[in-house]
Parts: sequence; C-alpha cells; structure tokens
Amino acid sequence: MSINISEKQRVRKLWWKPRWLAFRARMLGRGMRPGLLSKIIVFVLLVDLAFVYVYPILYMISTMLMSTLDLVDPTIRWIPTTLYWDNLVKAFEGLGYWQGFWQSLSVSLVAAVAQAISCGIAGYGFARYDFPGKNLLFVLVLLAFVIPPQIIVIPLYLLYREFGWINTKLPLIIPEMLGLGLKGSMFIVIYRQFFIGLPQSLEEAARIDGANSLTILGRIMLPLAKPAILTVSLFSFVWHWNDYYLPSMFISEQSQWSLVRRLQVLQQSLDEIYEVSPYGMSSMTEPVNMAGAFLVIMPVLLLYFIAQRWFTESIERTGLVE
Amino acid sequence: MRRRLSLDAKRSIEGFTFVAPWLIGFIVFMAYPLVYSLYMSFTEVQVTATMINFTFIGWDNYVHAFLGDNVFPIELAAFIQESLISVPTIVIFSIVVGLLINEDVWGRGIFRAIFFLPVIFSTSEVINSLFSQGAGANFLSRFNIFGMLIQALPDQMATPINAVLGRFTLILWSSGVQILLILAALKTISSTVYEAAAIDGAGRWEVFWKITLPALKPFIVLIAVYSIVDLSVSPFNQMLVQIRNHMFNVRTGMGYASALGWIYFSIVLVALVFVYAVGMRRVSKA
Repeated sequence: MSINISEKQRVRKLWWKPRWLAFRARMLGRGMRPGLLSKIIVFVLLVDLAFVYVYPILYMISTMLMSTLDLVDPTIRWIPTTLYWDNLVKAFEGLGYWQGFWQSLSVSLVAAVAQAISCGIAGYGFARYDFPGKNLLFVLVLLAFVIPPQIIVIPLYLLYREFGWINTKLPLIIPEMLGLGLKGSMFIVIYRQFFIGLPQSLEEAARIDGANSLTILGRIMLPLAKPAILTVSLFSFVWHWNDYYLPSMFISEQSQWSLVRRLQVLQQSLDEIYEVSPYGMSSMTEPVNMAGAFLVIMPVLLLYFIAQRWFTESIERTGLVE
Repeated sequence: MRRRLSLDAKRSIEGFTFVAPWLIGFIVFMAYPLVYSLYMSFTEVQVTATMINFTFIGWDNYVHAFLGDNVFPIELAAFIQESLISVPTIVIFSIVVGLLINEDVWGRGIFRAIFFLPVIFSTSEVINSLFSQGAGANFLSRFNIFGMLIQALPDQMATPINAVLGRFTLILWSSGVQILLILAALKTISSTVYEAAAIDGAGRWEVFWKITLPALKPFIVLIAVYSIVDLSVSPFNQMLVQIRNHMFNVRTGMGYASALGWIYFSIVLVALVFVYAVGMRRVSKA
C-alpha cells in the first residue's frame, strides 16, 4: 500500500516531464528538426531584412502620391491624406513616357533575345565539346567579365564612329549578338554550367540513333535548356533596361534615350515644360521624381513578379549557377 | 585509327564553330579596344575637330597618377579600404540570408521574391537616385551609431567603418546575385548527407560547421570574386567617376584617363587573382 502511494506521488511529481520534453523539442527542435522558436526567430529576422529591400519601393510609392501639403506636413509620414495623381501625370509628360518606353523596350528585348541565343551557343560549345585552346578561351571569357567598360569605352567610341554606329542602337545590339555586351560572360558561364550538368549519355544515345549535332542541339538540348534560357533572358532584359553607362556614351540624340536616362534629366525637362526658373520649385519636386522613378521601374517590376516564380523554381531545381 | 582521329578532329572543329562567333566579338569589341587603350595610356592624346593625335610619352601618365595627381591616390586608397570592408560584409551577409531563406519558414516564396529584388535592380540608376533622395532606410542614424563609433575607435578605423555602415542599405542591395549563388550552392548538397548526419545524432549547429560550410567553401570564393567584380564596375564607384571625368578633361585627356583605368584594372585583377588563389588553395586542402 505504502509503496503504491509513493509510486503515485512519483508519477504525479513527474507528470510534467514528458510534456515538458515534448514542448522543448517543439520549441528548440530536436536533432536536425528546427523548433518553433528558431522558426520564429528566422521569420522575424527575414521580415526585418526584407524591410530594408522593400523600404525604398514603399517610400517611392508613398511619396509620389503626396501633394505638396502632405509633404510638408510633419504629421504625415507614410499615408497621404488624399491620393494625389498629379505627380504621376507630370512625370509621365516630363519623361516623354511612350517614346522612352519604346526605346527601352526595343533595345532590351532585342538584346535579351540576342544574348539568350548567342551566349547559349558559346556556352554549349564550351560545355559539350573539346578542342585545343578551349581552356584559354574560357579564361578570356572570364577576363571579359572583369574588364570595366570604362577602360575600353574610348576606343569603342572611336571604333563605332568608324562604323557609323554612333546614335544608333547597333553598339547595344551587335556585341550582344556575338555573346558579349552587358554581362555576356556571366550568361555564357550560366549556360556552360547548365549544359555540363546534362548527362553525356543523352547525346550518345541520340548519336547511336543517327542524330547529327544540329538535331541534338535543336531536339534534345534546346527543350532541356528552357530554365537556363528563361533566366538568362530575364536577367538580360532587366539589366539592359537598367543600363545607363554605355548607352549614354554612344547615343546622344534625346529622342533615342531610354527611360532610365530620361529620368536623370526629368527635372530639367519639367522646368522646360512648365517654364520654371531652375531655382523655382526645387524642394517640392521630390514626389515628381519619385513618380518618375516608379514609372521607369514599374514595367520591370511587373515582369519580375510575373516571372520570378518560374525562375526561382528553376534555380532551385537545377542549381543553375555554379 | 585514322577514322577515329578524323572524327575527333571533326568534333573539335564543330566545337570551335560554336565558340567562334564569341571569339570574333571578343577580338573586335574587347581585345582590340583593350590594346588600343593600353597604347593610349602611354601617350598624350589630343583631339582636334577632324583627327586624334597621339604623342608617345612613356610612363609619364602613370608617374603623374601617383606623384602629380592629388585626388587619384586618395580616392584609390579610399576605394581599397572600403572594398576590404564591403566585400567580407557582402559575403557573410549573403551566406546568412541564403541559409535563412533555405530554411522552411512561412512565406518562403515571398521572401525569395523580395531577396532577389536586388538582382533586378542593383544595376539600376533608379535605385541610385532613390537613395540619393532619402529612400535608403537609414535606420542606423537614428541610434547615433556613427557618433559612438567615432568615440570608441581610432579615426583610421572609424571612418571606413562608418562609410560602410552609411551605405549599409547599399551593401544589402548589392548582394542579390550572391544570395542566389548561395541558394544554388545549398541545393548541390545532397540531402542524404543530412539524413546520415541526423541518424548519427548530429545537431543543427554541428551540421552547419561540419557539412554545410565546407561544402559552401568553393562558392564562397566564387561570391567573393563576384562581389569584387561587381563593386569594381558599380555605378556608385568613385574611381570610375574619376576616370570618366578625366576622359573629357581637356587638360589631362584620354591618355591619362586610360592610364588611370589601367592602374585601377590591374589592382582589381591582382585582388581577384589573390582571392581566387588563396581561396581555392584552402578549398583543396580541406
């Protein structure tokens, strides 16, 4: 009897122990499994960091919708009293939006397609073939990545002038067609890495079935390379859209300017349109500039949010870049 | 035997054909301008309305850059100092974020979308103009961290650290591709290794140090190299602004600008080779 009681007491004393252990395991995790607590910490950390990235965009959107009154009102930080669309209209006019949009779009689109093809071809050659001097050539590919364009811009200018390419879009397109241009080397490396990852047996099997190299490329490699093609085209498009330096060197004619370049001179254009003296409305133009910035990056932002699902997945699946 | 050889040769030629367009492009749009600019760096360039005159002056441009110019060496030193802090920061930051988004957290897809934003926008002048107008979340200034640092540290250390902190947002914004690389690298580690470790009773902490980090090492070298390149060609880079200014400066001109470009480029190249060689030796030892 007495034994029974003490047994009961012992059980009662320890009733919490297994629950506590289970609770601890759930909070802190056991072995490899993350616990709830670490999940919460990771989540909070990520939210904080994400905020740093989202902040400029939120700031831009909030500021552009503010009227002058809201802007100077210290009690208003984020949410304008009324949505004020005038800034957007002004920025739209000041940028010459449709013309700029068309310039940006045409260059980026052509360049992205050109690089997706040409870098793919070069990357394929580097990945699936052996030929003398291949390693040396690949070192040159990497070298091309490292060279700052500012070093070669003067000779390039002289060269393009010789070709009669100044004030045309050819300097932004012809190098891209040959697998150079904006970050071309990086795209070659991406493709190379991708094609190296495909099993050799694919090609051998096709060869035994009598396929020639072109058939193999078109029928087997091309469909498989979709994720790589998608990633490269997306990056290339967006980076060309954002590109500022080289276009500013080779294209001086204003009607051919891309949106990004128009944004740089938005202030002046607005002053011209509204005939304001340069010192007239300086401090209050921030909302208009923000509206301009919004208009310029909105197309790529949209494209990104449409495409990001595919491309993050393709990166996760293939381990694309190596 | 002969037939085999000729088959190999045929494949070589085929392979070369794939690479040939790139090679042509490289020669015309890269190698030729490079050699040209190297030549220009040893000359004084005079541009007239109709033609360009080159006068060979030997190493004068290079000597002048270090002895005569009172801006360039200072900017160069500042650039090196800043890179020494920025690059490790970017590398560590992208590893941390890569590991965090690789975890199974709520809203993982949304986080990935947000953290890849810099891949899309860090090249953009738009971001530049956003930051210059106060859109950079400068939460650090609220806590007066700068003031504290200046008091706590000697000046030579406090100034570059402050410079980096001041551009903290910018550093975060330049680690997009790096985060992506880390994520891709984490995918290359086979899950069976982790399962084996779990069966052996290894904790998460141990697994990170003994499995994840060693597997990441070559990628860490890669992102360090990428960060250096990215930093060296970024539009925020003062060195490039210098070079650009000299290009159209009548007094110094294109020859001098080319010399500055080459000095800058050789330093970056040396840094790259150094990081790569040291990093890769560590990797092969491990």
